[in-house]
Formats: sequence, C-alpha cells, structure tokens
Amino acid sequence: MIKTDVIIIGGGATGCGIARDLALRGIPHCLIEKGDFAAGATGACHGLLHSGGRYVVSDPVAAKECYEENIILRKIGEKCVEQTGGLFVRLPGDSKLYRDRFLKSCDKLGIPTEIISSTKALDLVPNLNPEIEEAVKVPDCSIDPFRLCMLNIVSSQKRDGIIFIRHKVTEIIKEHGRCVGVKAADQVSGELREIRGNVVINATGAWSHLVARLAGDEVPLTLSKGSLVITNHRLTNMVINRMRPSADGDIIVPNEAVCLAGTTSMAVEDPDKIRIESQEVDTIISEAGRMLPHFNDMRVIRAFSGVRPLLKSAKSDSREISRGFQIIDHGDGLFSIVGGKLTTFRLMAEKMVDTVMEHFKLNKPCETAQLPLEGQEELSGYPLAKRLANMKNIICECELVSRAEVERIIAQTGTRYVGDISHRTRLGMGPCQGGFCTFRALGIMQEKSIISPEQSMFALRDFLQRRFRGIRYCLWGDQLREEQLVEYIYLGILAMERK
Amino acid sequence: MGVTQHDVIIIGAGVAGLTAGTLLAERGLDVALVAKGEPTACLSTGCVDICSLDHEPLHGISHLPEEHPYHLVSRGVIREALIRFQIIMEEMMLPYSGSLENNRLVLSALGTYKTTCLAPVTMAAAPQNDDDDLHIITFTGLKDFYPSYIIARRKNSSFSAYNAGVSTTMGLAANFEREDFLDSFILWLEKTKIRESKIALPAVLGLESAAAIVKIIEERVGKKVFEIPTIPPSMPGRRLFNALKDYFRKKGGTIYWSWPVSGVEKTKNIIEAVITPSEGRPNSLNAKAFILASGSFVGGGLHARRDTIVENIFNLPVFNPGKRDDWFDSDYFSLNHTIGKAGIIADSSFRPKDAPWENIFVCGGILAHTEVLKNGCGHGLALATGHAAAVSCIGYLK
Repeated sequence: MIKTDVIIIGGGATGCGIARDLALRGIPHCLIEKGDFAAGATGACHGLLHSGGRYVVSDPVAAKECYEENIILRKIGEKCVEQTGGLFVRLPGDSKLYRDRFLKSCDKLGIPTEIISSTKALDLVPNLNPEIEEAVKVPDCSIDPFRLCMLNIVSSQKRDGIIFIRHKVTEIIKEHGRCVGVKAADQVSGELREIRGNVVINATGAWSHLVARLAGDEVPLTLSKGSLVITNHRLTNMVINRMRPSADGDIIVPNEAVCLAGTTSMAVEDPDKIRIESQEVDTIISEAGRMLPHFNDMRVIRAFSGVRPLLKSAKSDSREISRGFQIIDHGDGLFSIVGGKLTTFRLMAEKMVDTVMEHFKLNKPCETAQLPLEGQEELSGYPLAKRLANMKNIICECELVSRAEVERIIAQTGTRYVGDISHRTRLGMGPCQGGFCTFRALGIMQEKSIISPEQSMFALRDFLQRRFRGIRYCLWGDQLREEQLVEYIYLGILAMERK
Repeated sequence: MGVTQHDVIIIGAGVAGLTAGTLLAERGLDVALVAKGEPTACLSTGCVDICSLDHEPLHGISHLPEEHPYHLVSRGVIREALIRFQIIMEEMMLPYSGSLENNRLVLSALGTYKTTCLAPVTMAAAPQNDDDDLHIITFTGLKDFYPSYIIARRKNSSFSAYNAGVSTTMGLAANFEREDFLDSFILWLEKTKIRESKIALPAVLGLESAAAIVKIIEERVGKKVFEIPTIPPSMPGRRLFNALKDYFRKKGGTIYWSWPVSGVEKTKNIIEAVITPSEGRPNSLNAKAFILASGSFVGGGLHARRDTIVENIFNLPVFNPGKRDDWFDSDYFSLNHTIGKAGIIADSSFRPKDAPWENIFVCGGILAHTEVLKNGCGHGLALATGHAAAVSCIGYLK
C-alpha cells in the first residue's frame, strides 16, 4: 500500500499541471493515468496556445484567461512553445461587423492586435487564399501537448511525486463517508495497487462522470466530440483562424513538420466509443481549404477525435470560477475539475491546488506562473538540424529518426512502448504512420531484452489496428496507396496471422 | 515531338507487363515497354502465389467468385504461363521450385508461414512445418530483420549475428556478389558452431547470383540454407524483376525507362499512340496495339479520389466497390476491404469492358475483383492474365 496526501486521477494537461503545482508547494501526491499522458482530449486537440482571440466575442472571461496564460506559458515554457503568431483571416462574405466586435473586445481585454492588408498577410503566409479581405495578427502559438504534460511531470518526479501510467482506477475507497484512497489496476500485468490519501482529485475530463460514480458522486457532463486532420506538410508557419463566430474547420495550427486542422462539434454519449465520419473530414478539408487553398489537394495522413468535457449547468454546490472551467467539491474528499482548455491548464491546476490548500488549512502560494518548466532542454523535441546531422542508420525514414536515437530513448526511459519513443522523437508520425518503423522499433526493443518477442507481436498487432483507426477516414490518393503497401507488407510479405 | 513506331506498346514493367512483353517478343513482334518507375514486383517476396485458398492452387481458383479475372483464363493457359515462367527463370539462373499440384510454404520474417505456389530456389529449403530446427543468421545493424520474432515461434532455433561492416539489405546483397566477402562470411559460418540442421538468412544473398551463392554455402557448410524474404527493399522481388526485364531485352524488347505516360492519341475506336514527356520534349509512341499493365493503387494504375476511383491514362471505366466509407472494413486484419475489388473489368478477350477501343488490352493488378491478399494470388494472376492478354493481342494483330 502506498500512502500520500493527494491522489490525482488523470494524466492530461490538468492532472499533470496539478502534480507540478502540488510538487512546488511541497505536498506529497500520486498521479494515476489509465493510458499514456495526454491520451484524452489533451492529446487530441490542435496544440494551440490560444491568444484568446477565438473566444473574445463569445466568452470574454475565457478569452482573458487564455491571454494571461498565453503570456505565462510563453515565459515559463520558452523552449516548448513555438511562437508562431496567428492570423484571423476575413474571407469575402465574412461579416465585417464581427471583425469590428472582435477588435473592440480584444482592445478592451488588452489582447494585442494588428490589422494587416491581404498583401502583407500573403507575405507572411504565402499559401493563404489570395482573395482574403484582410487579416488580424494575434499572439497565437503552437505547443506540443504531450511534451507539455511530460514537462509538468518532471517537476513532480523531481520532488518525489509518485506517477503511475497505464493504471486504471477501479475503486475509490470510502471509509466513514470519506474518500480515503483508490485501487488501481496495472493495465499490463493486471496487478492491483492500493493508494491511500486524504484528498482525491478527479481530473479525468470526458471520463470524470464515470470516475465520480466510483465514489457515488455525480458530475453533470455533456460530451462533445471534435475531430481534426493532420496534413503531410507544414502549409503555414502561423496559426490561421477564420474571422467569424466559431464554426467547423476554422483553425489551422502548424506543428513541427505538419499542420493540424479542425475541429467539428458533435454530441456523443460514450467517450470510449467515438468514431470519425467521412463527412467531418470532408468538411474540415473544404473549410480549411478556403483559408489555405492547398489544403484541398494536400495529403491528409491522419484524422482523430477528442471529447470535450462540458459542464451541463452550474450547480449550487459548485464554485464557478469562470465559464471556462469548474471545480466541484463533492463534500466527501473528492474534487472534480472539468471544462477548461489546454491553454488554461496551469490556471486550472492553480485554482484546484488552492482549493486543496484551503482544505488542508495550509498557506503556501502558487509558484507555477513564475518558475520555468523544468527539463525543457532534454524534452525540447528532436530538431531537424540534429536529425540531418545524424543520418546514419535511419529507422524512421519519414521523420529521420536514427537507430542511435531510438536506442538512447530506450536506455534512458526503459520504455516498453513504441508510443513513448514516438512522443519523444516523432518516430512513426510521418506519412507512412509507422508502417515501416514500428516493426523495427519493436525489433530493437527485443534486441535490448526490454520486451519479449511474444509481447512485441502483440504490440505490433495492436499498433496496426490502432494505426488503421487513425488513418481509416483519410484513405484516398497517396495515403490510400501507402496504406495498400503497408497492408501488403504485413499481411503479404510478413504473413501476419489474421488473429 | 519525337515519333516512334512499334507493333505493341505495354504500359507497366511489372510481372504482368513483362510476361506479356516476353511472349510477344518471342513471337517476333516489335514490343516496347513504357515504365514510370520500378514496379511493385521489386517490393514483393519474389514468390509466385497462384491461389492460397486451397492446398491445390487450381482447386482454390474454382472457389473464387465468378467475377474473378482468373475465370477468364483457362486452366491450360494458367499451366502454360507457369511452365513458361519456370523455363525463363531457369535460363536466367534464378530457378523456381514448386508446381501447380501443391502449394508450399515460405518462412516469413515474423516466423509465420506464407503460402505460395512457386518460390525462388533460394527459399526451397524453408521448413514446411514447425519441426525443423533452424539457425538464423542476421547482420549487425540490419534494420529490417529481427531473428527474435522467429525464435519466439520456433523454440528449437537460435541465432548468430555477423558483422559485415554494412547494414542495409541492398548493401549486403551487393557485397555478397564479391567473392572475398562471400569467402569471409563462409569462414565465419564454419567457425560458428551450428548445431541446428538448417541455416536461415534474411534475403540478402546477392543482387542476382543468389541461387549460386546458396549452393556454394550449402556445399561448404554441409547444411541446407534458405532465404527469408524481408520487407522492402526486397531482394528476391528485385531479382525476379531484373530476370524478366533482362530476358525481355534479350528477346529484342525495348524499354522506355522512367517515361510516364502523359497523354493519348486516339480515334473513335483505335488508340494510335501514347505521349510521354521524356528528356525535355514529348515523344509519341505509336503502335498497332496497347497493353495496360500499370498495376493497382500501389503500382499507380489506379488512383482513388475522395469520391471516386479513376484510371488516369486512358480514363477507362473503373469498377468502384462503393462509397469511400465502404472501401475499408473496420477490422484491419479481416482482408475484407472492398477496395481490393476496385479495377478495370475485362471481357474474355482482355479488352476493357465498356471502352470504345478495339486495340487495347488489360492485365495484372489493375483488373477488378482480384482481391490479391485475400485470395493469395500475387504474381500468379499477373502471369496468367499477362500471358492471356498477349495471346489475345496476337490474335488481334493477325
């Protein structure tokens, strides 16, 4: 049995942010995540560090929070935020009235804007639709959500935080009506762990109603699915937004070598049973194509969905902090934190930990906005210059990842999961979507005796099924061609069994 | 514009196009082959799968749905095409083992078995069941071959790694063509105390001389040796392609290499020429007949758009198995992805159905309803339909 003070359930940006905040305030804690970090909505979003512009007309409170957090993250996460800047582009037919309200509201909230002629905008982003009326420049940025989670976890681990990933909470232990701990099952070995604490924080996003039910509590959630597509190329060096009220497919974000475009919004029931419709993919492409015409003939390499956890209505027993997110005190030692955005994760964590400090009657102020994120040098990704200098024995040809780099990550982390290598090196994230390199990465892990050959066969099958789910709705043109080749390799050349 | 005249022009240099080309050239026709690039044959295991649905391949064919293009070819022609292929490969020093009577197994790099009909002789000694004990050789740093995948399934086997100083499939294959390299390798092999009865290697034993190299190793070491096909670049696939290509040239065939077809000259019922934009100026390649063997999606013969499937050279009518959402089954491993049925429907003379031209023939992977993976008919279907299309073409030219 493990004893700690605070148990955090959920390894998305919010959960990881809470772990960092608790660590910096010296509170012992344990974070439990059923999958990998950023496996829910955190990892299934644009990776956009909002300037606030998107919400400035519809939700000024959230917009202000976004802008303040944008400034903080650019400062504390200098090396993991790409300061791309963003444009809101107004196309022929888009309301000028909305644009005026947009500028006025930005001005009121202090979000810096600059009106740019279409000629100037085309200088900044040559792929823009030349028919745009004008653009407004805002301080949008691009951020890698997985890396962000990892950087928060570094601070926790440096201060003895206990982290369990791939552990699913199966029970919240209650004694005398209070939550005193959880039982969590190791998703690989099946082993059950008991962790005891004084407070349990439910930071499980779209799953929070299900987790709260383990303690007999309720979280009134509405789930909304948003889908995104990834292109094979980085079509823009700036974030591109459509100057109009939020609608489908109106944001394009550059991230390393690719672009992400989305989203859509559809009500769903079960966060574990979501699928993308071809219609959504087509809508995103045609809407994104209105801003960047090349989007229409660009190779789409993957499509995916995330589920937004939206609160149904404000309850009398919950403390409304803003329209962006809420903390619910269930009154039995369980707290749920829901809503919010990737951009405001740090603020959410701060408010959550403030609530816990109050609960413990402690009085140490939050420092997460002042101290830089730790470990940025190590986790600053795998820059192209380094890849090009290291062209020997390339394992992943799409993203130029060398065998040496894969071996280094394996030695450093001891990981048994190809996903952990991908997140650190971009292995398997290019056009073939791991079709070639996963077989190799698993082979190298066998060579290093990290996993058994049986495990690697299981992992390979599992990988191929998951990979297929990710690419299934963008299979036409070159991506379909690539997919047919990969299918031929695994089912033809390698004669992989059907089950 | 440069203008060239041939009897027959074949588009595509895969197994189907080369089978048709070699047959036409043998019959004394002036044949030219236009190829955009290397065919998918270079990515393949080099094995000829006829039909894996039954241990008797011809029996398997009778199980296929009636629209399968195999049913356009008589059993006699399939047999003839296969025998002809074996004779050609024998002549090109790359003999194939196996017969139409029974399928055989080839060991895969995952330790599973691939069912095929004819296998390159370098895979002839591959185990046909789990009893054989194997000693697997790998090469230090080779990224496309991991013996432990195989050993996990064959407890009576072990492996050793040879440090060859090179670590790519192509690099190793090129080195094996050198006598000193082969000699050092065999010396190492002799020093390695191998208990097992057979020696297995990834398919890197030479660019072209693999059959001879396997024989040399077997004689020196005194054990059976066989190759395991690897993921692309696949040497057995390249050897197959090179052998057919060299044979085609030997018989007087012409190859326009890296010349993608960019246009067509045609009348109401005759294709007159195909246009290629080679070497800075367009070329008009004229012929009396044309054979389209440009392959399926991977080969580039078919192209999927978001809403439809097209054939880009002649704009022939393409059988589309449904809407985009229906192209793939939700289970990746089901082999029931209907996209495998897409292609050109041919009539009994191998002319594309519903096309107005009398002098065009189609064969190979571009045909509809092939479902190559599901039916296990890769290369076999290309041999049979390539042969049959050429015969039909000869009949037309007479």
